[in-house]
Amino acid sequence: MTVLPKFAVERWTRASAVSGGVAVAVVAALAVLPLIGGDNLVDKLTTLFVYVILAAMWNALAGYAGLVSVGQQAFFGVGAYFAIRCSVAGVPPYPALIAGALIATAVAVPLSYFMLLLRGGEFSIGMWVLAEAIHLLVNLDPLIQGETGTSMIALNAYAHETRLAANYWLALAGMVGLLGAIFVLLRSPFGASVQAIRDDEEAAASIGVSVQRAKRTMFVLAAFGCALAGVLWLATSVTFQPKTNFGVQWTAYMILMALVGGLGTFEGPILGAVLFFLVQDQFAETGVAYMAGLGTVAILFALFAPRGIWGEIEKRWNLRLLPVGYFLRPTGPPKPDRRSK
Amino acid sequence: MDTFETVLRAGRLNRRDLIKAAGGMAFAAPFGLAAPARAADATLKVGFVSPRTGPLASFGESDPFILQQVRAALAKGVEVGGKTYGIEILDRDTQSDPVRAGQLAKELINKDKVDFMLSTSTPETVNPVADACEAAGVPSLSTIMPWEAFYFGRGAKPGEPSPFKWSFLFSFGVNDFLKCYVSQWNGPVQTNKKVGALLPNDADGNAIRAHLMPALAKAGFTIVDPGGYEDGTTDFSAQIAKFKSEGVEILVTFPIPPDFATFWRQAAQQGLTKQLKIVQVAKTGLFPSTIEALGSLGPNIASACYWHKDFPYKSSVTGMSSKDIADSYEKATGKQWSQQLGATQSLFDAGVAALKASGAPTDKAALAKAISTLKADTTVGAIDFAKGPVPGVVNTPIIGTQWIKAKPGSKFKLDYVITENANDPNVPVGAKLIPYNG
Repeated sequence: MTVLPKFAVERWTRASAVSGGVAVAVVAALAVLPLIGGDNLVDKLTTLFVYVILAAMWNALAGYAGLVSVGQQAFFGVGAYFAIRCSVAGVPPYPALIAGALIATAVAVPLSYFMLLLRGGEFSIGMWVLAEAIHLLVNLDPLIQGETGTSMIALNAYAHETRLAANYWLALAGMVGLLGAIFVLLRSPFGASVQAIRDDEEAAASIGVSVQRAKRTMFVLAAFGCALAGVLWLATSVTFQPKTNFGVQWTAYMILMALVGGLGTFEGPILGAVLFFLVQDQFAETGVAYMAGLGTVAILFALFAPRGIWGEIEKRWNLRLLPVGYFLRPTGPPKPDRRSK
Repeated sequence: MDTFETVLRAGRLNRRDLIKAAGGMAFAAPFGLAAPARAADATLKVGFVSPRTGPLASFGESDPFILQQVRAALAKGVEVGGKTYGIEILDRDTQSDPVRAGQLAKELINKDKVDFMLSTSTPETVNPVADACEAAGVPSLSTIMPWEAFYFGRGAKPGEPSPFKWSFLFSFGVNDFLKCYVSQWNGPVQTNKKVGALLPNDADGNAIRAHLMPALAKAGFTIVDPGGYEDGTTDFSAQIAKFKSEGVEILVTFPIPPDFATFWRQAAQQGLTKQLKIVQVAKTGLFPSTIEALGSLGPNIASACYWHKDFPYKSSVTGMSSKDIADSYEKATGKQWSQQLGATQSLFDAGVAALKASGAPTDKAALAKAISTLKADTTVGAIDFAKGPVPGVVNTPIIGTQWIKAKPGSKFKLDYVITENANDPNVPVGAKLIPYNG
């Protein structure tokens, strides 16, 4: 037997311990921001949190579970729809929003049994079809009046500042909660099993991974996340127009953010969402050029940096700020750093 | 007009050049920037949101011109209650995207702290902006979208008090179409009164099917409705066959412009166009470009307008008559006038009247209250918010029109003539409706 150099398996490096502390401090700072920040900042950050949720959800699906969906707008839209339905039924606005997200998640559970029978490209297209089908069903509701839509006017009962702050805190809590849930899930044995499925479904099944259950968990989690993002969006915009809320653009944004930030990394989608948010804020005015630019960037990343910005950072500096995998650190004679996948 | 001339001489003038030129002019105007700062007691910020690029761009195409006229007219500010207020208009382009419309409105409210919001053209623009204003308590005035979609499409219920305190609209509704169409179809062109209805399964299509069609049936027309189609449909054979076999002589449709082009070419290929005496389009055919795009199939299509250069009204802000507005637009840009010119102008007319009527334009509640009972003279006629049909909404007329081939020697290919005036008898009828297949 050859003698292997000595390694220590570790999860928290010094950098990640520091960044974990920084993350907690940032969240704490964000939590008190509405008390001091201006309306515009609060509203914009709410948008950013929604983007982070969307990016993280698509990454959880595609980057970890290997489920490439182009129909996540189904949950984004239907969450908002159920929130309006609850609101019209007399539920107070904020409980109605949360109920909307939960009902959409409940809908996702039976759907997952059908959708997860599809694999690869079939699943992607199937999800788009599903999104369109749900969109058309929602259009049939007389309350929605086809594409006319309706508005969640119950939200107008709150003062402007109160509503802004409530949306902000709800979005922040949703974002932190969902990122936390993904973090914990991915660090558990479950995280290893979904990644095994992504890398090779048959092989994973052969070593005893419960493929369907693992995929379903991610599917339902992502459905909940997207629905939550959808109701948060409704809370900030008030307007519900099916063509907009079920727009495929939401999934396009998700893909872009996850792809640019770093698919299959925990930090990447957060970075991608921040970048997308900044780019949108600065360049959206330019219209056509902006859209073309976004498309070009997505193509370039897919071709030349498929693991995104954070993937490149990880590769180059071996940096993981919020580790969901494991590191191998040599403890014997100095060797170049290596890390496990 | 130097800047425009320069651009024109340099070659083709496109929208972007026009915007740049308009911006340049505003900047170059010696008093344009200085006046509000010098004379005004305070500056009022007015947001103006419209679609200037994207699929709805033809609505916003003439907005830079109107903005430039309005800015020049308001350069010295507006006197309200003995105080002079400078007016700063912050114009924004939604790119035809409702999401962006909402975001722009929120930014204008939260960051730029506008005192007053104006928005125009289609539910995709107006509803998100009005919702943002309603939620934030900022007075908002809009125009050019069916009022039913503004009021009921944002959650108001028939027979209940209005849930809106801050958002107001003056625009046309289903009844205006009814009156206009009945007058147009009972006019000089004799038909068998059989109406083929090509209505999409979208917001406007469904509203028209539910409200306008039964009313037209009551008015003595036989409606042939093959059922809703989805926007973006590429094969209309079934609908065309149905219209042919039923022998319809009137076509009424509310399609998005690209769908109408598809349908109309197929209708020509399959021989439907020959049997139609009146082709009444709405939503498409508002602007010369959409009719020109149909080539030889375009002339004699009947339409309806919310403003026309022959309207006998002038702008209360710039003092220009409707004809002056159209003529100066054509002179400045080299493009044919469009009905959005007067509509956007009317929004500023009503908006400035509201600021004046409020007595205290920086007080948002006072401004909203003033709009709720506002009487104003605009390019589309006098509006009176006390009249209804529902609180916060005023009906403005729809006037029957027809696209005809322009007279020889005209600068443009088509002429747009008024063929009936049931909704506003002050508007002069310019021509008799002629049959499409005539």
